[in-house]
Amino acid sequence: MTTYYRQHPGLRLTNVEDEGIVLHLDTRRYFSVNETGLLILEALHRPQSAEQLVDVLVERYQVAPELARDCVAQFLTSCQDSELVVHSDAA
Amino acid sequence: MFRQPGVAIRYGSPDRPGVVCVQWQTARAHATLEPGSTIAQVALSAAAARRLDECIRVFLNAVLILVLRRAGWHHLHGGIALDPDGRGWLIAGEPGAGKSTTTALLARSGWRVGNDDAVFVGCGSENRVAVTAARTPIALRAPVTPRFAARGVFAPERKKVVYWPEELGSRWIDRIEPAIIAFVSAGPGLTTRAWPLTPREAAARLIRSSAWVMLEPALAQGHLDLLGRLARQVRSFRIRLAEDLFEYPGRLQELTA
Repeated sequence: MTTYYRQHPGLRLTNVEDEGIVLHLDTRRYFSVNETGLLILEALHRPQSAEQLVDVLVERYQVAPELARDCVAQFLTSCQDSELVVHSDAA
Repeated sequence: MFRQPGVAIRYGSPDRPGVVCVQWQTARAHATLEPGSTIAQVALSAAAARRLDECIRVFLNAVLILVLRRAGWHHLHGGIALDPDGRGWLIAGEPGAGKSTTTALLARSGWRVGNDDAVFVGCGSENRVAVTAARTPIALRAPVTPRFAARGVFAPERKKVVYWPEELGSRWIDRIEPAIIAFVSAGPGLTTRAWPLTPREAAARLIRSSAWVMLEPALAQGHLDLLGRLARQVRSFRIRLAEDLFEYPGRLQELTA
């Protein structure tokens, strides 16, 4: 069964010269993310599977899927630790 | 719940989603703002009215911050100045970092200055970000006042000595479009130093100075975007203040040239 993820509803993002600042209104914390992190979080405005996020990175950066898969897995783990991303029921 | 010193701010409740309630904790006073409205309904008890000065400074100031935010002007801890070359400066930093002392030194050397502690960020001309300040005096801690020839007035409620810009040889300015942000901190050493910051680093520091961004989800995105635009608009520096600035405030211009 595929797991889907989405942004935590308390998240607000802004782009600062291709990098990102992320506010979490519920935990009242803020985070800096690099260009790739911002791209993933923006994609998670709608529910996405990890594999769909890999496709987003491959399309944008023309990187090998294995590399993108590692990147997505690491980022999702750290985002879940910080409650930036939650599981979503529906795609 | 969002707390400012002496004030509790509650956002929404099950029966009133989106309503903001502000309560003064010293004497009975409260205000209510309906979602999206720039009108605050305020009720003061007799006890609050008897402490009117404190009520204005603490409680009504918080209400005003919320009203202005809904009008697109977002509170930020900092001061503003205009250097002799016409560049606008936003001087930000943690409490006790030296914002007021820096503002006073710049005033003494002829820069125009605005507020030293609380300003509002909003839209300026041609899609630029502007910063506006109310006319309030610069407030210095007592130990630093002997370094200024002007004699200020002790303000017991702030436990500081206050000076109007004109008393320091400056003229007040109510609005700038920043070209430079100085995130100051008081440090050891004799020489003031500066380090450039990336726009992302500057944006993160602006969030720290503009804590109201976390309140009211409907306004948070606009507030955050404005801080991001401001960070892109300016050159930002982390500045460690030192003793030399008392003798030569112009060093700030040299460091950021």
